[in-house]
Amino acid sequence: MADPPDGPAALPLAIQRVAVVGLGRAGVAHAVMLAHIPGCELVAVADPRAAARAAVRGMGFKVPAFTRVERLLDKVRPDAVVVCAAQHERARVAQLVLEAGIPVLVERPMARTLEEAEALVQLASKRRIPLAVGHPLAFDPVFARVHEVVHEGVLGPVQHARSAMFVSRVFAPRPRRGPGRLDSRRVAGGVVAHLGSDLLFVLVRMLGVPVEVRADWSLLYGSVEDELHGMMTLPDGAEVGFDCSWSVPGYSRASTVIELDGPDGKLLASDEALELDLSRAGAGFPAGYTRLRDADFAAPARFDFGGETLWSHDAAFLDWVAGGPVPPNEAFAALDTHRVMDALYRSAAAGGTTVKVAP
Amino acid sequence: MKLTFAAPRLLLSVRSLDGVTRAPRERLLEIQNRFREPESLAVTLVKAVDAGAGGVLGSPSPALRTALGELQRVVPIYAVLPALSPQAYRMLDPGVEPLIARARRDAGPAALLRMSLTGLLRFSAFRHGDFAARVPVLLEAGGRLLPRRGLAGVVIAAPLTDAALAGDHRAFFESLPRFVRARFGAAAGFETRNPGQLMQRLREWGVEPDFIVGPVNPRGLGMKPRPAETLAELERGGGGTPFIACELRAGGLCSLEEGARYALDHGVYGLAPDLAEMDEVAVELRSLAAEMGAGGE
Repeated sequence: MADPPDGPAALPLAIQRVAVVGLGRAGVAHAVMLAHIPGCELVAVADPRAAARAAVRGMGFKVPAFTRVERLLDKVRPDAVVVCAAQHERARVAQLVLEAGIPVLVERPMARTLEEAEALVQLASKRRIPLAVGHPLAFDPVFARVHEVVHEGVLGPVQHARSAMFVSRVFAPRPRRGPGRLDSRRVAGGVVAHLGSDLLFVLVRMLGVPVEVRADWSLLYGSVEDELHGMMTLPDGAEVGFDCSWSVPGYSRASTVIELDGPDGKLLASDEALELDLSRAGAGFPAGYTRLRDADFAAPARFDFGGETLWSHDAAFLDWVAGGPVPPNEAFAALDTHRVMDALYRSAAAGGTTVKVAP
Repeated sequence: MKLTFAAPRLLLSVRSLDGVTRAPRERLLEIQNRFREPESLAVTLVKAVDAGAGGVLGSPSPALRTALGELQRVVPIYAVLPALSPQAYRMLDPGVEPLIARARRDAGPAALLRMSLTGLLRFSAFRHGDFAARVPVLLEAGGRLLPRRGLAGVVIAAPLTDAALAGDHRAFFESLPRFVRARFGAAAGFETRNPGQLMQRLREWGVEPDFIVGPVNPRGLGMKPRPAETLAELERGGGGTPFIACELRAGGLCSLEEGARYALDHGVYGLAPDLAEMDEVAVELRSLAAEMGAGGE
């Protein structure tokens, strides 16, 4: 049995000193991953909540912990910062870091509003500083392979696509109180902003930016959506279905499915398997039916803290900062997704009318 | 005097009932449905022990506790604590305090008293967030879920083990086994998703829990940081700590027989095949027990 091939940043170009701002679930997960990427050193963390800082110290991390990002930047001057601050704070924190000339990996959505996201991407572009957005699904071995299959045109032009992302958090998707609460004035949205935008990113990157969308939503427990059903129209007229819910039973783990139909074949991908039925060989697959399990794919992560993808995701960002290739989740690509998400929300808020996606 | 406990050589894992075994979703749902009735689980537990399993590995869930309560005989339990949701296995809330707060809400007066006492002895009011001081408080809360008879081991759940491993929290790994042995009179184990990394650290620190549970299989699935590094640690003897292999079928990519043979050939001490990895639990466990020549502990 051979070891899996090394992924990005297995051999980084230089030691990188990285900080994490925002120590919620995502921030802690990033801190864990960064501590296990060769050549990466976690040098500081920041969070205004004493309990969050204590939680990271309590795990054994002996790094300086700051209450404010300004002080962290001043005292530590890291090579890169992972921003996982609360959504209403996220754009401001990312902006501060970019203005200090430091590359940023920001959790999704990168900002609460589309305007804030556009300003952030513009700033990073103008200053030529790497800015990437947290979209680990693009690094999932199955979905990364799906992207290659479509990119190489194995199915022919995609005519129909259906997709879904479900998880069961029926009664308590997020806390009702505290910084993580789902208050529409503090967050970009509900299930799409928090969960489904990861799938949306994979779709938009793979199939292109839709020209128009229509959507309806259900607000079951609060002021943000718990379910959203969308239909997106691509420039060539192909339609892409997008369903997302954190209020369905039976999905104790998040589950993602993409189904694609083209003139030369069909594809069904999930977290567990990739199935292809091709009329001609391509992208390394023979003609006919092929099924690969998730475990058939390379697993390059050196540390498992809830799955494979976050390690590869963070490693690819650090590789970019060190002079390596641009990762798929760079800010311009992520901004396209934010625009589509914004259009879906506008359509749902307007009762399902067709809405153009902002160019 | 150091208390020592023998590690089991063959366990029946019921972690699929907790939803955390690496298996296709449909298979997990099928298993959870099959053992929805406590009677069917109880019968399977007895058959497993009769077939040579030295005990059962799983969280003390209501289903498992009810099944054990149905039985007239003692089935050794290696209880994975704290009992976490599958979502927590994907992404743990930061630190241990949210888990303690939740446990306090659910605990009765006796458990609250024990939690307070355990906290007091570790000055935990001054060490908020520190895994070494606070996880024992959490285990006290889990103690109320443990069976009155048959507790053979307490296994720290992988999200906590791996969080402390990520932070190189040596004091946590040193102190937890002492606490578990003294408080519960049972073996102390660590469940991990990073077996090579954990064995390496424990060896470097000279820390010896009673056993480790982690994935080993011919496909290298889950054998972090790399299969070769994990096997090298196993060949070094796991730092003196018995290693119990789980996820032997690599999520269904190989047979149980193949997975077990591979794990044993590479020096694991014991096996913990899961319900989701077997169709005929008694038959397959008996076959494994015969192959190991052990018959469990």
